[in-house]
Amino acid sequence: MNENRIKIALTKGRVEKQVVPLLEKAGINCDQIRQKKRRLIFDSPVQPYEFILAKGPDVTTFLERGAADIGIVGSDILVEHRSTQYELLDLKTGDCQFVLASTKNFDPDEPKRKIIGTKYPNITKKYFDRLGQDVEIIKIEGSVELAPLTGLADAIVDITETGTTIKENNLKIYDYLDKVSTRLVVNRMSLKQHSKEIYALVDKLEGAIKDENLSKEY
Amino acid sequence: MKNNLLPLGTRDEFGRRAVAKQKIISVIQRHLNQRGFSVISTPLLEKQEVFDQYQLGNYQMYRFLDSEGDTIVLRPDMTLPIARFLSSTNIPLPQKFFYVGDIFRISRRLSGSYNQLTQAGIELIGYDSMKAELECLMIINQLSQELLKKNVEIELGIADFAPTLLEFLTTDKELQNQIAQALYDKNIPEYSKLIQQYSDLPQYKLLKKWPRLFGDPTTVFDELNNFDLSFELQSKISDLKEIIAWIKRVMPEQKVSVDLSSRAPQSYYTGLTFRGFYQDGNDYLFSGGRYDKLLANFQDQTEPAVGMGIDVDMIADLTIPANKSKKTMIYFDKDQWQEAEAKLKELPNSVLSLSETKNEAEVEAKNSNATLLDLTGDDRLE
Repeated sequence: MNENRIKIALTKGRVEKQVVPLLEKAGINCDQIRQKKRRLIFDSPVQPYEFILAKGPDVTTFLERGAADIGIVGSDILVEHRSTQYELLDLKTGDCQFVLASTKNFDPDEPKRKIIGTKYPNITKKYFDRLGQDVEIIKIEGSVELAPLTGLADAIVDITETGTTIKENNLKIYDYLDKVSTRLVVNRMSLKQHSKEIYALVDKLEGAIKDENLSKEY
Repeated sequence: MKNNLLPLGTRDEFGRRAVAKQKIISVIQRHLNQRGFSVISTPLLEKQEVFDQYQLGNYQMYRFLDSEGDTIVLRPDMTLPIARFLSSTNIPLPQKFFYVGDIFRISRRLSGSYNQLTQAGIELIGYDSMKAELECLMIINQLSQELLKKNVEIELGIADFAPTLLEFLTTDKELQNQIAQALYDKNIPEYSKLIQQYSDLPQYKLLKKWPRLFGDPTTVFDELNNFDLSFELQSKISDLKEIIAWIKRVMPEQKVSVDLSSRAPQSYYTGLTFRGFYQDGNDYLFSGGRYDKLLANFQDQTEPAVGMGIDVDMIADLTIPANKSKKTMIYFDKDQWQEAEAKLKELPNSVLSLSETKNEAEVEAKNSNATLLDLTGDDRLE
């Protein structure tokens, strides 16, 4: 019976808040998510979509294992978790950027093996590989700004929307890395099994994103 | 440290899963034996160099050092060992081989994937003719009927379609590569950025459509008719059309689609690729293609070849019965052995109870959720 139902894994929290209005603009009913209380799974009787709410890294796991057909998740997480699924759409929300930041006396060119604190070891490694530098990476789960302030690390690679948290903690941005935004990702096999339904959704969303950006311009 | 724990990504197989897998393997073996294929079995261990050509994707290989200091790996693939075997022996070609065995791929830690996978497959070595591809398609069609009672959807592709098309677009190898990667990964934001520079060219429309060039063959070919393709590409497409026409003629009920936007299953493929998937499975069940240059890794001479892998674990996942009929346990005295043997043959899903007393037999039957059939007394339970 479930053959043509599409399971969408949505990153809960900030992504969910930003994406729900967009989904609604694309004509998808999100009432159940808006009135979710503590529920995490929503099977709509009126449309062919079932939503699940999960943390970003778990959205990629659901997708890799085929437990969800579509994932809506930040590109930071897709890159860090080396997602191998199809990235069909940039939803152009949740824009932010990776930066290299540290205290004011940090010298990026100092000849030493630097210690870098980050929540994103793969992205950090890739960045320093490109610079031809070997660094020691310390994985930090949150409040990454603390690392250079406490002397745990020489600098951090972290994600920032406006740079406010970084400034408020007396840190300075030394380099800008990749830009980040929310993406719509599709399981490879699901795209073959439900291509019509999935592309219908992608096209509706793409239209909604275009309208949104046009109205921003005027 | 506890001494009864498994390494990450491995499992013991027993019960319904083990039975289902054993059945699948025996169906495949019987089918391929009947077709006159020769069985081949290569070691689990190979030198690392055998897999130099192999694209690991998101996997790692299990590696060891042998006593000589050479790096040995647990095989992640079955085709390359067979190519190694052929190049080091004087087996006359052509030959048709089949194999069933385990391969090892270390997937991401704690991702829920298993690192030991059972694969069956065939290799048709020394055949230039399209008939080799056609026999593979016939096998997919028949085996999916025998194993799943339903047809899988066959998806056809051309391994070098994208590289050939991109060579016409630009001579910049690095750029060709970047576009191909973005196309294969259907990373549309990145792909759109990369093709933007060709927006003035007549091919731009095709480039824009390209990531969606898969699905129903007629629709895809109609789409292609709008574009001026090189002679080389046109001849590849007409081969593809010929194969589809053959499928429609010989197995009219077989569902078939094409995909001109995906990466070939392995980089060693050179011609037609084919895969089979099922509406419920979360990966391809069959995957193969032509790889005419593979043997050149091991010897000077190339040999035309077509091969295909069959994912036994995935088929097992799809065919494990939800609940089985109840087992019958036959309790008997030693001098009733012949009578018990007769019952064992007569009753499907029955087993001999080896308990000494009837009480023990009752407990044994209860523990394995079976019905007890007592041959010793008058109170026979039917």
